[in-house]
Amino acid sequence: VVVCFWRMSVGFIGAGQLAHALVRGFTAAGVIATQRITASSPDTDLPTVMGLRKLGVNLTTSNKETVSKSDVLFLAVKPHIIPFVLDEIGPDIEDRHLIVSCAAGVTISSIEKKLQQYRPSPKVMRCMTNTPVVVREGATVYATGTHAEVEDGKLLEQLMASVGYCTEVEEDLIDAVTGLSGSGPAYAFTAVDALADGGVKMGLPRRLAVRLGAQALMGAARMLLDSEQHPGQLKDNVCSPGGATIHALHVMESGGFRSLLINAVEASCIRTRELQFLADQEKISPAAIKKTTLDKVLQQPGVAAAGVGVRSGGISLFSSNSPRTKKN
Amino acid sequence: MSQIKTDPEMESQLKIGFIGAGNMAYGIAKGILSGDVLPANMKVSAPSSRNLGRFQELGIAVTHSNPELVCSSDVVFVAVKPHLVPLVLNEVSQHITQRHIIVSVAAGVTLATLEDLLPFNSAVLRLMPNLPCLVQEGALLFSRGSHAKPEDGALLRSLLHRCGLVEEGPEAWIDIHTGLSGSGVAFVYLFAEALAEGAVKMGMPSALAHSIASQTVLGAGRLLRDSGKHPSQLRSEVCTPGGTTIYGLHTLEQGGVRAATMSAVESATERARELGQKSAGVGCKK
Repeated sequence: VVVCFWRMSVGFIGAGQLAHALVRGFTAAGVIATQRITASSPDTDLPTVMGLRKLGVNLTTSNKETVSKSDVLFLAVKPHIIPFVLDEIGPDIEDRHLIVSCAAGVTISSIEKKLQQYRPSPKVMRCMTNTPVVVREGATVYATGTHAEVEDGKLLEQLMASVGYCTEVEEDLIDAVTGLSGSGPAYAFTAVDALADGGVKMGLPRRLAVRLGAQALMGAARMLLDSEQHPGQLKDNVCSPGGATIHALHVMESGGFRSLLINAVEASCIRTRELQFLADQEKISPAAIKKTTLDKVLQQPGVAAAGVGVRSGGISLFSSNSPRTKKN
Repeated sequence: MSQIKTDPEMESQLKIGFIGAGNMAYGIAKGILSGDVLPANMKVSAPSSRNLGRFQELGIAVTHSNPELVCSSDVVFVAVKPHLVPLVLNEVSQHITQRHIIVSVAAGVTLATLEDLLPFNSAVLRLMPNLPCLVQEGALLFSRGSHAKPEDGALLRSLLHRCGLVEEGPEAWIDIHTGLSGSGVAFVYLFAEALAEGAVKMGMPSALAHSIASQTVLGAGRLLRDSGKHPSQLRSEVCTPGGTTIYGLHTLEQGGVRAATMSAVESATERARELGQKSAGVGCKK
């Protein structure tokens, strides 16, 4: 029996893949009632928006409305949208709000800096999760910001643990996590696709091949997670002397299988850092933002062009151009 | 370990003989002497005196007559080069009785070939040692012929236990053992040399680099053997996150070292099989 222990309200800025996946997971876990969830997006035509509506989530085009209705606020928009969102909702953040950014490469300090124009001690956390939260097998890590308390971390951990594995890390590890488990499902999908190709080549029907490939990976992962043994030992246990498996493994080693995977994790991590660096350094022109998105954001009541950093010379990320003075 | 117990007293009265006085014979003899066998109960034969000095230093009697050696021994190690085996066995065959246990150390000479060259019902075992027997850290695999009883295997195991690791297996494993551990020693030397050269490239003097490389291999080997852990486990334990080791390992993986090593064992094993088939054709029948 799953008990809905959450009395808090959860909001999502952004109603795309991530928000949809998380809500589906939370719903399956029964950890929070969907009436307590609000999501906002300027684009109401997205399939994920319709999916969220079907789940019973309150949908709005107003980020401000989401903020006012939430205690825990997930920032589930693309990294380059984050600064716009922060400028827009900054004035509406209250003491109770726990801001959880899921944007790859966006640092806690950059978010805190933005929000500190409006409040002295914004509670910010950063998390990196992955799409299998949708089936409650997510891999999530989170880092705690300057003004977030231990209880805030525990709160987030409880919520995310309902949809998979969740643990706290130092923020500087999050890029590596992105490379490993953030991108990880894509590696797995590619692997299963290729394994299925192998099966099909050797005579299996495609559907069966995909099913068996996915089941093999899932079963192996389950064995490993349940075992104290090193994966190398588990691998040995499968390889009978002179048998089929050891022959196949040799082929894999010859193809540099291991180093490919190491390279992939490294590439994803490095790219994440690059994107963050670019975000910190560059000015992004309005052309880089989807025009429709920007227009819709600008149409929101209470949103002024200056307030979201649109200047004739381009948009500067993370720079303060608000007429409000800094509070101390 | 065999469950058959050998009698140390019986063992100490056994006469052990070596036909051939090369490195393998020497290493095995040293190992046997570390056990319960006295030098007085050991003898070695070789055509010339060239290699006999070091045996004499151990107190072992020497001879130039193979028949004499066989007649005065219970366990006879045939430690000559493979192509000489038929010659030697033809020479001594008539002196071999039921009490004898013949242990061939000749690479690629099959039990079938050996049994063909010896009297019917002879107890023959085939032993594949490796070079580090010389320092009592060998890896030895033996296989019993059709008339060698389990007790003969247990006796051999007991005689050799000071030479290093001693295991029994079917004859089919001997070629694999050759590839893995006979040739494997050379693979390790190659790796040690490359380790040292890497260090030299980075600025360390060669002599020091080699000395450290050899100690590294030795130390890692001891730890691997004595910890009982899987090598992948030990490897993981050395790799601190983002540290030097994982960077180095990544480079090794990119170089395909694992696959190359697997292939090396495979090539050496296949060659051992090839050679074994060739020598079976050459062996003279009585």
